[in-house]
Amino acid sequence: MSLIERANGSLPLAPSAKACCHPDTGRPTAPDDPVVALVGAPNTGKSTLFNALTGAGVTMGNWPGTTVEVSRGLWRSNGTEVACDCETCTCSEADGRLDITLIDLPGTYSLDPHSPDEALTRELLVGKPAAERPDLSVVTCDAARLTSCLYLVAQLREQDLPMVVALTMSDVAAKRGVHIDTEALARELGCPVVEIDPRRRGGLVALADLVRDRLGRPAPAPRAALTDDDDLALEDDRFAWIAHVVDVATGAAVQNARTWSDRVDRWVTAPVVGPLIFLAVMWVVFQVTTSVASPLQDLLDGLFSGPVSQGATALLSFLGLGDSWVQGLVVDGLIAGVGMLLTFVPLMALMFALLAILEDSGYLARAAVVTDRLMRSIGLPGRAFLPLIVGYGCNVPAISGTRILPNARQRILTALLVPFTSCTARLTVFVMMGAIFFGPYAGTAVFAMYVTSILIIILVGLGLRSTLWRNEPIDPLVIDLPAYQVPTLRLTSSVTWLRLKGFLQTAGGIIVVTVAAVWLLQSVPAKPGLAFAEVPVSDSVYGVVSASIAPVFAPAGFGSWESASTLLVGFVAKEAVISSWAQTYAVDEPDDNATPGDLGAAVYQTFTESSGGHPIPAALAFMVFLMAYTPCVATLAAQWREIGPRWTLFGVGVQLVVAWTLAVAVFQVGRLFL
Amino acid sequence: MTGPLTALLAEVAAGTPTVAEMARNTGLSTDVLRAGLDHLVRTGRLQATNLPIGCPPSGCGGCGAAGGCGVAEGGNSLVTLSLTRR
Repeated sequence: MSLIERANGSLPLAPSAKACCHPDTGRPTAPDDPVVALVGAPNTGKSTLFNALTGAGVTMGNWPGTTVEVSRGLWRSNGTEVACDCETCTCSEADGRLDITLIDLPGTYSLDPHSPDEALTRELLVGKPAAERPDLSVVTCDAARLTSCLYLVAQLREQDLPMVVALTMSDVAAKRGVHIDTEALARELGCPVVEIDPRRRGGLVALADLVRDRLGRPAPAPRAALTDDDDLALEDDRFAWIAHVVDVATGAAVQNARTWSDRVDRWVTAPVVGPLIFLAVMWVVFQVTTSVASPLQDLLDGLFSGPVSQGATALLSFLGLGDSWVQGLVVDGLIAGVGMLLTFVPLMALMFALLAILEDSGYLARAAVVTDRLMRSIGLPGRAFLPLIVGYGCNVPAISGTRILPNARQRILTALLVPFTSCTARLTVFVMMGAIFFGPYAGTAVFAMYVTSILIIILVGLGLRSTLWRNEPIDPLVIDLPAYQVPTLRLTSSVTWLRLKGFLQTAGGIIVVTVAAVWLLQSVPAKPGLAFAEVPVSDSVYGVVSASIAPVFAPAGFGSWESASTLLVGFVAKEAVISSWAQTYAVDEPDDNATPGDLGAAVYQTFTESSGGHPIPAALAFMVFLMAYTPCVATLAAQWREIGPRWTLFGVGVQLVVAWTLAVAVFQVGRLFL
Repeated sequence: MTGPLTALLAEVAAGTPTVAEMARNTGLSTDVLRAGLDHLVRTGRLQATNLPIGCPPSGCGGCGAAGGCGVAEGGNSLVTLSLTRR
């Protein structure tokens, strides 16, 4: 059965209607009508054109022997001299009318089929003998995506096929600054080209004229294709031809015109300058965050340690619970601990807002390029950058995020590196330490911790890659960078609120539970003769256990039980570090009327004593240790689930060794200068 | 002479991370490079995987993390390309 027989005989036909020059004739196609096939890539306006040409007279059904749906209709082509007998116009039926059977073939990018639809298109266009092929093919090409559409044209031009190219969406292309010279395009393609706008019925008469003119004429001489058995060489030849055609038809200057976004990217993603810009941007983020949020933090700190604590104390005294364990739990525990966390709300909000602005502006995609290049340079898998970046928000989803890596060993490697990313819970501690020890340079100190975090990831990654992870494949990452845009207030505020809410929900639950647990441990005496809740913290279970491990940290300059205890609490959750600190000093110094600077002064005093008069290097060592040691039990649980107990315990060992070694090194070297 | 696809594959293998940078290195237009990347993915010479990035609407706590840390709906997605042996 020939194509025409199939087209005319096998599909159900719509009922006949009055003959008319307008498209919705509904007249059955006749066996002797010429057959024109509409071919083209998906979304190039092919079906819109088909509907515009055939109107309501369309039949749809599976092509015989296949499950591929094909539309067929009658295209009553009148050319420029329109005349017919329909009621809606004044023309009279013309002798020059030509009825064409129009077939809308499934969309395809090439004649190399990857689906039954594409296989059918190939079969009908080039698989059949010449007599059974369509009399003419109209290839639709999206002018805004000309290059993508021309591969099919290139393949068709290698065949002995009559064809014309219908250029659609020229208006969209023009808006993007692409103007196509259709004459030049036709000359280079070696077949006629007509510009059409099927949505507005523009250019349809010109197309009809062109089709009528080409029907019955011999096909243009096929383009000389490369004679090669190598598929890639053939495809390369076609793409080289396409590149040339597009250059001529659009002007190479237009194709290669650089936008200002491209010019900025040249610097922002450059191998050396790019990372420096990235670091500068992040420094500004931390500096702005700490300096702007600092007064608000002080205000909230004063509120919780002053009026709120005093009000709660007065209320409890009124209820007859003054100086009882209830007051200790509520005032020194919950209000001191939770209040301390809440003082960080302005800081976190500002931080999240700045990051949202960077994300919305398109800069973070550039940061991904910089990060990816850095990781590839040290031999880490390209995709691993994503979980690692996520880890700077929270390690738990970052560990789960390693599932995007297809290779199990890559997943393990990345999951082992994630805990070294400094999550937002650690940020609160860094900010507090920065404010206490570095004053106006707090932002720089926090920034330094993030740089240290990156350096640790690089060093540990290199270490693991050169030992246990040798010869692992590396997947490249290709990013089509979005254009820069002005961040929107709606998106920025929405993202900020969502992240802040998530942080508070997670931290809030952890803090309340941990504060209660710490209070209990601080209330239970470890020495005989002391009553519950009336024991100095240093003599409580909390203090004694902390004091037993404190000597381990002596070489790092923070070998006091107060510092050691926060690290124990930090093992549960980093969010609870500062609240436990606040609890410890609040309980330890109950007679001291709390003021905003008291906690800082107490911490400074502790570090001065434990470091032998070198509090700055001791504080730095503490921050480095806090950044590198075991993140929290939730992260460990996630690791346990993703990579199993053996690798999780291995990771804990590596983290403790790296953290302790670096902390000792920082303190021992630092105390020589500070 | 190296064809556009061969040049493109070499860029991917070398780890060039952006289309703009590939254009600078090869002298090809970004349109040709994008069409070439699409073609190489369609023909199986490259394997493309979308990387979701950004946080889910419900925040970190609501992240199933099945495909990374959430999805930035409607945002530009990052794509990793793996060279496949043919």
